[in-house]
Amino acid sequence: MSTHASHKKRSGLMDWLTTVDHKKIGILYLIAGGFFFIIGGLEAMFMRIQLFKPENDFVAAETFNQLLTMHGTTMIFFAAMPLIFAFMNAVVPLQIGARDVAFPFVNALGFWLFFFGGVLLNLSWLLGGAPDAGWTAYAPLSTTSEGSGVDFYVLGLQISGAGTLVGGINFLVTIINMRAPGMTFMRMPLFTWTAFVTSGLILFAFPPLTIGLFMLMFERVFDANFFNPDNGGNILIWEHIFWIFGHPEVYILILPSFGAISEVVATFSRKRLFGYSAMVFATVLIGFLGFMVWVHHMFTVGLGPVANSIFAVATMAIAVPTGVKIFNWLFTMWGGKIVFSTAMLWAVGFIPTFVMGGVTGVMLAIPSADYQFHDSYFVVAHFHYVIVGGVILGLFAGLYYWYPRMFNRVLNETLGKIHFWTFFIGFHLTFFPQHFLGLMGMPRRVFTYLSGQDLDQLNFISTIGAFLMAIGTIVLFVNVIISTSKKYAPSSDPWHGRTLEWAIPYPTPEYNFAQTPLVRGLDAFWIEKAAGNKGMTPAEPVGDIHMPNPSILPLIMSIGLFVAAFGLIYDTMTVVVIGMAITFISMFFRSVIDDHGFHIHKEEVEEDLKGVKL
Amino acid sequence: MDAGQRLTDANFPEHPEKATLEGKNKFLGFWLFLGGETVLFATLFGTYLGLRHMNMDGPSTEELFKLPTVFLATMLLLTSSLTSVYAVLALKQNRVRTLQKWFIITLILGLGFLGLEVYEFMEYVHEGHTFTSSAFGSAFYTLVGFHGGHVAFGCLWIITLLIRNWNRGITLVNAPKYYLFALYWHFVDVVWVFIFTVVYLMGKVG
Amino acid sequence: MADHNNTETNIHRNEALQRKLAFKEERKHHNVSFIMMILLTLVAFYAIWSDKVADSFAVLFILVLAVVQVFFQLYIWMHLSHKGHDFPLWGMISGILFAAITVVGIAGLIWTS
Repeated sequence: MSTHASHKKRSGLMDWLTTVDHKKIGILYLIAGGFFFIIGGLEAMFMRIQLFKPENDFVAAETFNQLLTMHGTTMIFFAAMPLIFAFMNAVVPLQIGARDVAFPFVNALGFWLFFFGGVLLNLSWLLGGAPDAGWTAYAPLSTTSEGSGVDFYVLGLQISGAGTLVGGINFLVTIINMRAPGMTFMRMPLFTWTAFVTSGLILFAFPPLTIGLFMLMFERVFDANFFNPDNGGNILIWEHIFWIFGHPEVYILILPSFGAISEVVATFSRKRLFGYSAMVFATVLIGFLGFMVWVHHMFTVGLGPVANSIFAVATMAIAVPTGVKIFNWLFTMWGGKIVFSTAMLWAVGFIPTFVMGGVTGVMLAIPSADYQFHDSYFVVAHFHYVIVGGVILGLFAGLYYWYPRMFNRVLNETLGKIHFWTFFIGFHLTFFPQHFLGLMGMPRRVFTYLSGQDLDQLNFISTIGAFLMAIGTIVLFVNVIISTSKKYAPSSDPWHGRTLEWAIPYPTPEYNFAQTPLVRGLDAFWIEKAAGNKGMTPAEPVGDIHMPNPSILPLIMSIGLFVAAFGLIYDTMTVVVIGMAITFISMFFRSVIDDHGFHIHKEEVEEDLKGVKL
Repeated sequence: MDAGQRLTDANFPEHPEKATLEGKNKFLGFWLFLGGETVLFATLFGTYLGLRHMNMDGPSTEELFKLPTVFLATMLLLTSSLTSVYAVLALKQNRVRTLQKWFIITLILGLGFLGLEVYEFMEYVHEGHTFTSSAFGSAFYTLVGFHGGHVAFGCLWIITLLIRNWNRGITLVNAPKYYLFALYWHFVDVVWVFIFTVVYLMGKVG
Repeated sequence: MADHNNTETNIHRNEALQRKLAFKEERKHHNVSFIMMILLTLVAFYAIWSDKVADSFAVLFILVLAVVQVFFQLYIWMHLSHKGHDFPLWGMISGILFAAITVVGIAGLIWTS
């Protein structure tokens, strides 16, 4: 038995490829998500350049279809999702006082599955053309699309979707089972709460996507007839399955952003969050209602007035808990000692922007009006207001706020503010005019338009805005690069934080907490600071700390599926068999080799504690 | 205590599957996974219900399904669910040989079920009901095939588990693994209850 | 001293006996639910096979039988009613709720020709 096997330190690349440490996996998610964010952003820039004047010929119509499909798919699945997982990994175990997530091995597997799914999808650019059926991949457009673009879409999402699903289960179990003593559910920081609800949504929303993608794959590779009306199929089944997944998906994205905003607003107002329990209730309610509204994406397919009305009312109902949240953020700031740090600027910018997206959302929820708005730029404006103006602004707030915790360095505030103002102004310049373009009749997903229809000026303004957003993003990357050359942050608690992640010394030890902390209330760290204590009260004596072993198997399992996907795309069964064999053999090894982890000995922990700087 | 050590009757915990944090996590994570699987199968059932009359030129559900085969398959799977419950009972009493006996019977019944399903599919293909013949065909084989795939995966799982732990007795490491397999197997039977009701019996009603 | 030892072994024996009885009881529960499930299956098959039940009622009837049988599986064989199953229960209830919405949505809200 090798339970007490000594601690093997790996270094460099091997360390990152085999890590099961949630903090490192968070960084991997952040880097990979950032990379795909740039790719998705470039695709958006190409589209805006094409549309900056009427009858432009910067890209061909076919390329434009590929760009819009890849932009949507990349941004949702390979930028926003991993960035959310980045913060969930980096922050949630720290906020609940845990040493790691419940399943560290599965956590690494989730990352590598996502990563290879994203790589697979993007390789389609080099291998005969990207998918071109929109990120929604409606049948029969997707089932009859030529080339193998849509096959890349199906398999890329299938692989990364599996990674997301196991990640969701992992965080649910972590939050339920691994909370520190005293950390009751109603003392959990709001970011942890939103991570919890989001993970629940992932658990129930991703299985339908899995099935939908299987059906689409069977249709394209094995000539199935689910969506083929000539043989009894029904295209509406795809639309239902896609949106049964797709609508909860947008709540999966927005809830952690809400959580990040809640942390930032409370911290920089120097007040506890207003209406904490109402916030928790609103989060759960939004998550629940998120499953009841998917038909509002399908108002115009003709399901009849009864179905449309039911789903319209359900959709409008979501405005209520969301409104509760907006007011609670405002009341948190009311009377607070507000510090306008960069993180706070993003949070303050988020509130009115997201409200605008919410208002157009309620407009779209009215079926009769939706017949006018449907498939126009009004819809494009709406979902960019909620996803960029909501999710991305929230994630940027989180990035500036948690960057010191993740990397032990702060980002430059001046560059941060330049980033905020260029991106924020650029964002409104890009998408505000698009509401009017839509109302004037410009359909979405068109590669060009004619002059003399009053569309020229607004499209031009929109493109200018897009360039501003690009400049803002470049400033962010400059800021990140500069920060790497800097020394450690002056303090482990640079923002005077309220929650447990700020109670840890820097750099964050591998085991997070030398002694599991005792939580005595909401805003656990703030309570101790207000009581004049230097740190958290420990709930246990210093002792040996059990740690999981690093493993290369998650990477190999994901590579196996990546290989098998190529076999399916190019119809070569031997490659499929080889790929699946790699995955199954790795699973077999994982199953039969007992992995008891190792212990960091009491003496080492005590040694670390001596050198602690707070 | 070493989690990999064989447990004795004296130190045997009341719930060996949940005696360690790792066991607790696995137990909860697997239950949640089953919750997700419920929605996965629901998507397949919804699709099947939407497409079950779209048999085009092929045989309809009434003409196709043979209830005696389905009844036999149902009995096999139901009994295997009982034997896996017996195995869990043995697990709780630290009787590893009894556990192995019941899981082997479970495995044999599962393999019998799979054999029947393969036979049934071959018959259907013979009668012109194939995966590509109609939307009904695609939906039928995907739903029932997904369930069959779950049974097959379960068989591989229990074979690996039994061989790996043949001489090990019950430990805090393998107790959760046995328990999880039993949960999985019950869940597969739960899905089958709805398959024989919704697909086969309702198919006879039209 | 001897007396003390005696009581201790007695307590021990008692506990062991009680556990044994509990297992016996549990085994009985499992056997009873197995018989119930066989009966439910038989009734469902008979209802369809015999053609004696009106079709419209038969569908509802066998669906109810299926739900009852699944209840036996979840509560008795999978121990969902036992202590320490709060979160599994929540997970399954949510799963079943969203599953029901999914089935009704997909099967009910499509054009049928």
